[in-house]
Amino acid sequence: MSTEPFKNVSLLPQTNQLVGLYTIIRDKKTARPDFIFYSDRIIRLLVEEGLNHLPVEKKDVSTETNEVFSGVGFLGKICGVSIVRAGESMEQGLRDCCRSVRIGKILIQRDEETALPKLFYEKLPEDIADRYVFLLDPMLATGGSAIMATDVLIKRGVKPERIFFLNLICSKEGIDNYHAAFPEVRIVTGALDQGLNEQKYLVPGLGDFGDRYYCI
Amino acid sequence: MPTSALEDSLGPPSPSHKKIGSRRRSSANSMMSFDEAHPKYVPPWTTPYIIGIGGPSGSGKTSVASKIVSMMNVPWTVLISLDNFYKPLSTEERQKAFKSEYDFDEPAAIDLDLAYQCISNLKNGRKTDIPIYSFVNHNRVPGKTIPIYGASVIVLEGIYGLYDQRLLDLMDIKIYVHADLDICLARRLSRDIVSRGRDLHGCIDQWERFVKPNAEKYVKPTMKNADAIIPSMGENTTAVTLLVDHIKSKLDIKSEQHIKELNRLCELSIGHRYVTFSKNPKITELPKSNTINALLTGILDKETDRDSFVFFVDRLAMILLTTSLHSVPFHIQETMETGSNYTMHNVVACEFDKVSSVSLIRSGDCFMTSIRKTIPSISIGKLLIQSDSQTGEPQLHGEFLPHNIDKYKKTLVLQGQIITGSSTLMAIQVLLDYGVRAENITIVTFFATEIGLKRIINAFGNKVEIVVADIVMNDEMKHGNSKWAATRFIDANYFGCK
Repeated sequence: MSTEPFKNVSLLPQTNQLVGLYTIIRDKKTARPDFIFYSDRIIRLLVEEGLNHLPVEKKDVSTETNEVFSGVGFLGKICGVSIVRAGESMEQGLRDCCRSVRIGKILIQRDEETALPKLFYEKLPEDIADRYVFLLDPMLATGGSAIMATDVLIKRGVKPERIFFLNLICSKEGIDNYHAAFPEVRIVTGALDQGLNEQKYLVPGLGDFGDRYYCI
Repeated sequence: MPTSALEDSLGPPSPSHKKIGSRRRSSANSMMSFDEAHPKYVPPWTTPYIIGIGGPSGSGKTSVASKIVSMMNVPWTVLISLDNFYKPLSTEERQKAFKSEYDFDEPAAIDLDLAYQCISNLKNGRKTDIPIYSFVNHNRVPGKTIPIYGASVIVLEGIYGLYDQRLLDLMDIKIYVHADLDICLARRLSRDIVSRGRDLHGCIDQWERFVKPNAEKYVKPTMKNADAIIPSMGENTTAVTLLVDHIKSKLDIKSEQHIKELNRLCELSIGHRYVTFSKNPKITELPKSNTINALLTGILDKETDRDSFVFFVDRLAMILLTTSLHSVPFHIQETMETGSNYTMHNVVACEFDKVSSVSLIRSGDCFMTSIRKTIPSISIGKLLIQSDSQTGEPQLHGEFLPHNIDKYKKTLVLQGQIITGSSTLMAIQVLLDYGVRAENITIVTFFATEIGLKRIINAFGNKVEIVVADIVMNDEMKHGNSKWAATRFIDANYFGCK
């Protein structure tokens, strides 16, 4: 049983366009060029939605007609952290919205002996504790590696409410698992899948995201 | 050339060069039909001003026509020669023509039905295709026509310019260029022999057999249809000047009406349903989220450097385009197998290939980078509409639209800012004239003024969809700090050419 409606989950509005974009990337017949293009489009939407949650402060600027426009400016610094390899596919989308953003990397792989996720590598910005962090991983299935990655971030001093976990598809089970560990992290996603199969893959899913984006 | 003596029918080698005049068009010839209950925008090219010129071969019609066109100096004046409407010949007739025995100078040689159809289309503001006639093959050049659309002044010239009653009825002014036939002959001879290298006997033979009898029988009588008769020889400048002054005064009246009615379109109080933009289902203003507010701030800040300005505009463009595609055409696909081998039923399949776009030069071009990232293969049309520097009246100077634009299910009209809305009105009207349905048009823009939006809503009965990042209301412009909304700064800054 899931805990719907979820707290702290931003699901992109399910417009025909968005659902149609998902149709394209889910379809096994979609070849890599299209898979990449349409995944990138969805990623862009996820990043924009994530950025929307960052705090702003009032900012008055002067227009070319020398009038005062009462606008806003973003507060605070951000950085991205991608979970290698699939998460790296989302870096460009983040860069497209924040040109010189710093990006850390975390490599987590399943330990063949224990079948549990194991941290192999991490490289994060020095001052990550002062930053808002966009955690990037396209698929949230069981949440195992995402939980481990978030754990790394928190150990480095990042506040959980300053973490945004961006993914393209997640399972309800995955959300519950993840939020059981980190209820304050906001999950930004575009699709909620029915569940997981016996191999713990998303259903209906789209296959292995990293493979489809980088290899197949 | 076999048809050596056919001066009038030979004309210039390629009608598209000389006969079809400057491909610019203006609203100088404008009218607005107006109805309080159903206000409607009537573009200036509906009811263009039509000038008919007739007279015998060699009388100097072409030179009078060119004089009028150059003295008028009105953009988008089109010069059409009736020579384009010669009937295609049968094999037998063609043989005769090659032996110079076919009578090209009688009215029956010209397809006046088709000429009427074309001019009548133009009179109704519709696009029309003028055939091209080849005097080498004595046939229409297959698959080739000169498309004409949106002329505000049309000059129709030919020996039988004032012959057909239906054409006469379409004309606003009829001019007969008069010259004695011996003068016509002299001119023909000098032209055909000196400039076109034909022999004297052939010319005289042609003249006696066809040109002269037809001129006496059919052409001369059309003089009575004319409003004015102009002497062809020597100094006819005074006569042409008088005519041009008269025509210009008529066009000025139409132009004033156009501007006046454009103003009325925005004063007219719009129907209650549409009064509040936020409740109007056809208008989408981006919700003022943190991102949108921050982007607007960056775009309006005069301290923003060019790099960042372009970056902000591109980002906002992307969001606007995505929003405008929320209602992308789609169909339901029965089954689809996912990459993990699960079958999904009744999935949404977007028809991105059923979307086309039209950019209004130059401000619409701010969307070009982003639209290619949204639908890479989208067809992009371009329209150049400029305001007259003195009257502010919008004028359409060029149109390049995707083939079969009416077959698309959605057409995005991209424009940087809507200020008065008059160029938008014109752009929409062009699309409607090309057969695009108003319901399928979505205007995408960064900033729009209340006046501009009201005009568009009024003129097209709230059928056109509008997606805009920020609407600036009248009060904000008059009393607030939003005069910037009346300046065209988006494209000036984006392209760095003020």
